[in-house]
Amino acid sequence: MVRNLQELYQYRALLWALSMRELRARYRASVLGFLWTFLNPTLSMAVYALVFGVLMASGQPRFPYYLFCGLLPWIFFSSSVLGGTTSVSDRKDLLTKVRFPAQVLPAYVVLTNLINFVLSLPLLFLLGLVFEDYPSWHLVYVVPLLLLQTMFTLAITYLLSALNVAFRDLQHIIANVMQLAFFLTPVLWDLQTVKQFDRLGLTLTAAELQRVILFTNPLAALMAAWRDVFFHHRAPAVEPLLVVAGITTMMLWLSAAVFERRREEFAELV
Amino acid sequence: MANAITIVGVTKHFQKRSRRNESTTLKSELVRILKGQRKVVEPLHHIEALKGVTLTVPRGSTMGIVGRNGSGKSTLLKLVTGIYTPTSGTIQVTGRISALLELGAGFHPDFTGRENILINGIILGMSRNEVKQRVDSIIEFAELGDFIDEPVRTYSSGMFMRLAFAVATHVDPDILIIDEILSVGDEHFSRKSSAKMNEFRQSGKTILFVTHDLSRIETWCDSAVWIDGGQTRMVGDPRQVVAAYRKAVAAAELEGERTGHSALSAPGLELPQIAVAEPHEAPTSPVHVGEVRLRDGVGAQPSAFSAEGALEVFVELDVRTAAPCDVSVEIATVAGISLFKTHYAAGRLEAGRTTTRLSVPRLGLGDGAHVVTATAWSGELPPHSQSKTLVVAPHPSAVGLVRPEHAWSTEPRLSAAPPAGAPQPVAKA
Repeated sequence: MVRNLQELYQYRALLWALSMRELRARYRASVLGFLWTFLNPTLSMAVYALVFGVLMASGQPRFPYYLFCGLLPWIFFSSSVLGGTTSVSDRKDLLTKVRFPAQVLPAYVVLTNLINFVLSLPLLFLLGLVFEDYPSWHLVYVVPLLLLQTMFTLAITYLLSALNVAFRDLQHIIANVMQLAFFLTPVLWDLQTVKQFDRLGLTLTAAELQRVILFTNPLAALMAAWRDVFFHHRAPAVEPLLVVAGITTMMLWLSAAVFERRREEFAELV
Repeated sequence: MANAITIVGVTKHFQKRSRRNESTTLKSELVRILKGQRKVVEPLHHIEALKGVTLTVPRGSTMGIVGRNGSGKSTLLKLVTGIYTPTSGTIQVTGRISALLELGAGFHPDFTGRENILINGIILGMSRNEVKQRVDSIIEFAELGDFIDEPVRTYSSGMFMRLAFAVATHVDPDILIIDEILSVGDEHFSRKSSAKMNEFRQSGKTILFVTHDLSRIETWCDSAVWIDGGQTRMVGDPRQVVAAYRKAVAAAELEGERTGHSALSAPGLELPQIAVAEPHEAPTSPVHVGEVRLRDGVGAQPSAFSAEGALEVFVELDVRTAAPCDVSVEIATVAGISLFKTHYAAGRLEAGRTTTRLSVPRLGLGDGAHVVTATAWSGELPPHSQSKTLVVAPHPSAVGLVRPEHAWSTEPRLSAAPPAGAPQPVAKA
């Protein structure tokens, strides 16, 4: 795992050049150009705000801003994973023509989305201003949170990209799984609104259910933390994040091992 | 001299695609597991692309690889480059390697030539600064003019290849691996890229390259290797390897004409085995051909011989140790089509210089330049040859390769029926 990260550092020029090109390529051929960075999440936010804020009348105050606080980090995660899954299997041109470090491929997809996320943060603050919500000193938590989510995303992306070379239908399965994960993660809904659970002979109080969600779904912990920082202006709870950090370390180790074992076959299988 | 590339007993197997498609989806794997089926125990079908190749390329030398399509040449290059990993065996590479296997890896059509130079250069292993230093000379070499700031998708295929080649050759590697890409661009650019390759050779880089341009192997390489059916069939002097390869291909073609199928019809099959006759001087040959002189019937040496006149071929033999000697003279076209070949058993010759003479009272060949090759050998020992050009003067009323003795005439009258008394064909029991 450490060696993998070292190698990534070694190829940082390549990583950076690929990410920059990806960012510029994404918007080059379009009329709106770089505005798409902002337009994509804004449009999704507008639709969700209309459905859940107006039509289903969520009681959450400043709902569009509230939504945006969870949606932006979610988009960072989901587009990284969706793009990263096919990042190796789609680059036959690079892998079979030159000696190319395959581990750069998932990493640059994640890096591209990370930059996209950072670039759209001003938009978040702008929307906050509209709702008279001003950033607080709690923004210092952004850096460790970003680091944690990036590492977690990287671990998932490495694993999936390596497996997708051998099992090409994984990418379609992942698209569906991401849809499910989106609804199982507090992006559209809030952890505090969870009611008690009393079904299937299992009884959990609201507080217990919240804890179950927080500690079993790393994404829930991450999204809740982002909301704490941006929306509630409070320090995020540390324990769930420590669990995420533990899971991330294990996942990174596993993914690096799988990726390393499969890497030799990439050029033959893609 | 140290070796730049050391390949020891390398094999490479590929799984057959058909087998992979049976269980390549996660869905079918899951279904199999849920049904409780055992993993299919059929033997894995492998394609053996390389069956144990051992080869060393000394530092600073140029080695050419010849062989048929599907014989494993490209697989070998990809293994040396590090794109593939060998199934068994080891490959050791000392120095920075640059592979020109396919040009333009990672080019993005929406970006300008200049932007693509940067990313392609980094992909090929240069640092950002190295690319920046070389960008001007790359642009100059590619000769794209103002197009360098246009998106690559607007380029013609020739322009695209020129740019890609320019970047690839500016990597400044220690070892250059090339797969059949020197024929990039038009005549002018192709000459330029050849010159660039020569520059690489002279500056002491190691070059390993695959080409079907056999004359290039002969003129450029310090050594050559012939890969056939995944194995090294021959390693050594480029002229000898190329000659042996040519002979085997010709033999396979001949076999194909006779039997309707041959090793040439399926990719990757081995070419037929033939006795390799070394066309060039070998130290063990007891008899060498000295000067070959061509004279006409009166002992003169005309600039062009008459097809109707005589030809005398004087073959000077340098017999180094007394041995029974054989001499042959062959006349072939410049393209290598044999017109006539004759063999003479000269018997035992004593050491020293002697001259054999072949007299052809009437030359009988078509006009143009021909090659006369005299070969001398002793028993099973390698032969030695010398060639001389023979120019035959044009004749106003004849074309073609040969000019046999001939005469035209007109019959007094044409008869429809056979003349009376002519013998009738009788069926014999």
